[in-house]
Amino acid sequence: MANSAKTIMKGALALLFFFSLFMNCYATESYPGEIYIDILANHYQAVVFDHDLHVMVSEGCATCHHHTTGMPVINTYCASCHSADESAATVSCQGCHSKEPVTAGSMQQERAAFVFHDDKPDLKGAYHLSCLGCHQQMGAPTGCQDCHARTEAGDRFFNSGMFAPAH
Amino acid sequence: MKTLLKEGIKPHDGATRVDGKKWSLMEKLLLGLTLDQYVQQVIRNKFNWLLAAIFIVGVPLIIYRFVFGLGVVTHSSYEYPWGLLLGFGLFCMVPLSASGFMLGTTVEIFGRHDFEPIERLALLNGLLGYFFAVVYLLVDLGQPWRLAYPMVYSFGPAAVLFLVGWHVATYLSVQIAEVSTAFFEWIGFRRGYEFIRKGTIGLTVSGIILSTLHQGALGALFVYAPGKVHPLWYSAPFQWIHFFVSSIPAGLSMVICVSTVVIYTMKWRCDKRFIESLDRITISLAKGAAMGLITYLFIKFLAVAHDNEWAYLATGWGAWWLFEIFFGVVLALITFCVGIHHKNVALCRLGALITVLGILLNRLNTSLITFNWELYQEVPHVFEIIISITIFALYIATYRFILNRLPILYQYKSGVDS
Amino acid sequence: MCNISRRKFLAGSVAGGAAIAMAPAKKAFGANLSGFPDGLGVLVDMTRCVGCRSCEAACNKEQNLPEPDKAFDDYTVFDERPHGQHRRPTEKAYTVVNRYDQADGEKVYRKIQCNHCNEPACLTSCFVNAYKKTPEGAVTYNDKVCVGCRNCMVACPFNIPAFSYSSAFNPIIKKCIFCYDTRLKNGQAPACVEICPQQVMLFGKRQELIKIAHDRMRRNPGKYVETLYGDKEVGGTGWLYLSHVPFKEAGFNVSLPNEPIINNVKDFLAIVPMVLAIWPALFTGFHLLSTKGKSHGHADNHRHDGQEGHE
Repeated sequence: MANSAKTIMKGALALLFFFSLFMNCYATESYPGEIYIDILANHYQAVVFDHDLHVMVSEGCATCHHHTTGMPVINTYCASCHSADESAATVSCQGCHSKEPVTAGSMQQERAAFVFHDDKPDLKGAYHLSCLGCHQQMGAPTGCQDCHARTEAGDRFFNSGMFAPAH
Repeated sequence: MKTLLKEGIKPHDGATRVDGKKWSLMEKLLLGLTLDQYVQQVIRNKFNWLLAAIFIVGVPLIIYRFVFGLGVVTHSSYEYPWGLLLGFGLFCMVPLSASGFMLGTTVEIFGRHDFEPIERLALLNGLLGYFFAVVYLLVDLGQPWRLAYPMVYSFGPAAVLFLVGWHVATYLSVQIAEVSTAFFEWIGFRRGYEFIRKGTIGLTVSGIILSTLHQGALGALFVYAPGKVHPLWYSAPFQWIHFFVSSIPAGLSMVICVSTVVIYTMKWRCDKRFIESLDRITISLAKGAAMGLITYLFIKFLAVAHDNEWAYLATGWGAWWLFEIFFGVVLALITFCVGIHHKNVALCRLGALITVLGILLNRLNTSLITFNWELYQEVPHVFEIIISITIFALYIATYRFILNRLPILYQYKSGVDS
Repeated sequence: MCNISRRKFLAGSVAGGAAIAMAPAKKAFGANLSGFPDGLGVLVDMTRCVGCRSCEAACNKEQNLPEPDKAFDDYTVFDERPHGQHRRPTEKAYTVVNRYDQADGEKVYRKIQCNHCNEPACLTSCFVNAYKKTPEGAVTYNDKVCVGCRNCMVACPFNIPAFSYSSAFNPIIKKCIFCYDTRLKNGQAPACVEICPQQVMLFGKRQELIKIAHDRMRRNPGKYVETLYGDKEVGGTGWLYLSHVPFKEAGFNVSLPNEPIINNVKDFLAIVPMVLAIWPALFTGFHLLSTKGKSHGHADNHRHDGQEGHE
């Protein structure tokens, strides 16, 4: 079920890719075409993120990057402050979202500095909430291993593969 | 025994034999029969065969349970942590054993010595009921060897079960003391008998206190589970009163039932005083039970009104509740009333049987049948049922063993200081 | 904030067993205590859960639990219906994730574990005091004193404690302890919270979590149902739930009282010292009244009767 949806999506994305080569409005700006996300790799291998592909299919940078790229902000909550189209010093996810797990206490500290940055997810949360949320809406793959293959440590962790229960 | 009686053999019933010598302990244990006579009458009795059959199946199962854990004899249910072993063994046996403190109060506190012939039977009924409730508990507890922990090692005094534990333990001691008078007479320990008799009032009053509290506490245990017990069987303010009040007719009815069984199957052991007064006492006990029942009926409806649960009566559970009330309480009450009015002992005995069944139904409804009414229905594992029957058979066997020997149904001819 | 819990009052008063002890206890019953003020908890945002079962795997490893029956990436467990019910924590799993299929076809996932109540019913029902509510907020359990009576399982409104029925010689209660020994007492989040890819769970002080939850509800009008489960239920729980579907549709018990379970029992506990104090005088009085002027030597009658028969 997921696989057939995946195939269709791949086809659709490929088509879209060809068209958008000529229409992409951000083509002049510089951005990495492919991102290797290994910062959290442990139970899973690194994610090879096809940035180009996602630039093609997204409505704009702000879909993922909020206000940081200088594009008009989509989220109305962010828009109440970040209305001007000024780009931020950092645009990468890990530039803002902490690698350390967020807790209510750390949120409170964040709030002391930026009063409305009061429910900011940590890096792992930001990746998954952003990616998986969109993938669900778009009908893109949502299985764990559709994005990152599991390592042996991961198999052991999930009691799967060669570590599966005997019965 | 009947056969032996026909042959003119008199069972042991006093300290000295017909020829003036004292009975030895062994002879007392054998009821004054020779070993051959004793073994023969045991084998002749068909009921012993039934008991033996139950033990042959059940005792290995109890051992099996202790070797392999509760999981192999119960459904190991997380939602129904208390199965039949406690639902029947603890929650039914304890109210049916309320007789001890009821008759103790009547005779010793209110000075109604006309109830004396049955007092010891009631006390014994109480003692054995509690003792075997504890046996059921020991089989059901995960770590029975730690039973004394709440007494000596780790205290949880805010828990209702803490109260139940302490009170059942102390009350068991009180009951042992109360019944020990019969035992001291039987072995001929005169001073022990007199020592205990001196403390009778104290023992009886502590019996009332402990009974009031732990009969109620058994009900209060279910107050921990609002939403699990069906609202009709649940009442936070009244649960303990329901359990306490219903234990009164339950205990009295149990004595009527036991005395009925005794008079039909063990008449040889009853003395003239017991046989002649039993009809009168049965009717008097029935009066007491009827008073208890009508009070209970009233407060049951009071609880429904208090929590405004009338709407539940229109549901299937409501019909089941009404059945419990109309069968176990109203029908029993009518039977008692007609029996008392016409001085009909048989009807009073029938009423007592219905009361006992009604109490069983109520306790099983609260602890098992309507428990988790919104989840699913648990049917006890067949091994659990067999173990429950086995322990009950053990209870009957012990009961009979003691009735046969100790001066419960008859007055001991001590002849010590004569 | 009063930092003497109702439990301690109850313990003191019942142990005292005297009527005098009831005076302070009564005050405590009336007070509105909501657990330890700095107690920690977890806010679960069910809108985020995708049912990956990582938390189940993490719990299994952290607590050294036995091998599961099925791999943690086997999603057929969501279709299991033991006794017609959704799965629940067992002696082999302190937490489980369940899927609740909605009428409109939507799939809602919910993680179940001990909710770490402010006034735990398991604790108040335990007659050997095996349970403890730590100042950090965890409800922990001491298997060295457990007798195995399973009263805590009857009392728990969330059906959490699981008895290890399979053990013959050391059966104990198995339940989530908030990773107390390995993490919580060092201020660390439990393993399930840390592993969650979707940051479904937020760890922190309960009081702050309640604020954050209400902020989320306010900032996203229409996204959540308007209640925070665990805020009030049975006196408040350490674990709190936000949901986008009515809680009943996600298998929550929505008929729980807001009062702690122990409040149901306090009526009975209050009469205990009364009976202890009043009954002796009352019944001794009855005895004196009803036997006045009569012979009250029962023992003597008994003996004489016996001797008459014999001699």
